[in-house]
Amino acid sequence: MQFGNLLTSIVDGLLIGAVYGLAAMGLTLIWGVMNVINLAHGPLIALGMFSIYLLFSNFGLNPYLALLIAAFLGLIFGILIYFIAIQRVLGASHLSTLLATYSVNMIIIGIGTAIFTTTFRNVDYSLGNITFGPLTVLGTRAVAALLTFLIAGSLYLFLYRTRLGKYVRAVANNRAAAELMGIPSTQILALSFGIGTMLAILAGGLISTMLPFTILSGGAYELKSFVIGVLGGLGNPLGSLVGGLVLGLLEGIVPVFMPNTWVPVIEFVIFILILIVRPTGLFGVKK
Amino acid sequence: MAMLEVRDLEAGYGEVKILWGVNLSLQEGQLTALVGSNGAGKTTVLRSVMNQVRPWGGSIYFLGREVNRISAHEKAAMGLILVPEARQLFTDMTVVENLEMGASSSRALKHYKQNLERVYTLFPRLKERYHQKAGTLSGGEQQMLAIARGLMADPIVLMIDELSLGLAPLLTIQLFSTLKQLRAEGLTILLVEQNVQTALSISDYGYVLSEGRTHLEGPARKLLNDPQVRTAYLGV
Repeated sequence: MQFGNLLTSIVDGLLIGAVYGLAAMGLTLIWGVMNVINLAHGPLIALGMFSIYLLFSNFGLNPYLALLIAAFLGLIFGILIYFIAIQRVLGASHLSTLLATYSVNMIIIGIGTAIFTTTFRNVDYSLGNITFGPLTVLGTRAVAALLTFLIAGSLYLFLYRTRLGKYVRAVANNRAAAELMGIPSTQILALSFGIGTMLAILAGGLISTMLPFTILSGGAYELKSFVIGVLGGLGNPLGSLVGGLVLGLLEGIVPVFMPNTWVPVIEFVIFILILIVRPTGLFGVKK
Repeated sequence: MAMLEVRDLEAGYGEVKILWGVNLSLQEGQLTALVGSNGAGKTTVLRSVMNQVRPWGGSIYFLGREVNRISAHEKAAMGLILVPEARQLFTDMTVVENLEMGASSSRALKHYKQNLERVYTLFPRLKERYHQKAGTLSGGEQQMLAIARGLMADPIVLMIDELSLGLAPLLTIQLFSTLKQLRAEGLTILLVEQNVQTALSISDYGYVLSEGRTHLEGPARKLLNDPQVRTAYLGV
């Protein structure tokens, strides 16, 4: 086997892994702020894919411009989901929040399947190849990874450098105390759910420029998000990026040595091992 | 006009009624103590006043306005601030971030710089540790931060739940004298305490809560000499 192939495989894995990390960021942000496991995360990722597809195919919009529009719509959609489906069950048991988000999941998948069927779509857009010596990567993958780092950086700046972002952290840390200090916690939770949804939409949008998809494709990324969440620590959105890179690296290397079908086996064995050894995740914080 | 007035307040959790008729009236610029033994319902009074526990009956007036149904964050924005029991700091955030979170209303933001200087003067220790995570502070420093965070909210009425809980006696005395200083600057304070003797000795007026009712009230000095209070709470 050629060294160039392995290198390409690894770099490809890392690039796509970054986007996995972005997908996981939304899931882990929502968990960290309101202790809700969002089972609608996968369909939201798929909605991101279809938003780009529709804006690109029907209106001829540049996919990255479409991404901006989709992100904004995602934020609004997430806030709506929060007020309709999440707010009422927030204080109830985990089972209630799981069922609520699962219902949202089923509604999106049902409507999506009715409209789009389950045939594969793709965003037929190319940025050519980028070559460095023995290494060749697809332009869309490089841009997707670059944008992911940009988004992750912005999320960090938002959470740690802006007043509104600090309110999100305060509500995540102690909602009752935040209320006593005058922070409108319900609005902050709705905003957080909106941002989590926006991150899912962004991840889906970037994936749509790299791989073909159906309305059901989000599920696979949701599962990866759980593995990544555990790797990077659920409730730690920035750990997700690291977790995503690890998972991507694995997906780059494993197929070089064994059949592709082993990838999920290895991923989930690692998932279970981490749960046994360090239930809070590799970089997780105690809850 | 009373700054904060509570009339015939009733409240509880689930099926259990805790408060059976609580009456309080805080006068401007005074330090008022609400004392009583463990389990008398003191914390429930404060939580009902902030609407963290929904009152079952009675009324709450803040600056003359009925505020029963107003949510906690809106009350805080109006200037009614509770420093809660067990501090309830944002433990994952730094000292200065906690202070910043205290000043979230537009009222408080207007006086942010001024208030920050004021709390750093009152508690120089916090200034030294401004970049440390709140969860890593000592118990005393955490209580200082809880009070400082409350002051950053620019309170009109400051309510403090169990200031002395878990603190060394020397530190308790120091924090009580800080409260006296704040009162001297004109702040209206409600001090809720299990430590009856100390609380009454620094207060202007006092209420004694027992079995969910305020059954005694009067100038703090008078209460300290009241035979009922002396036998029930001071062990004399």
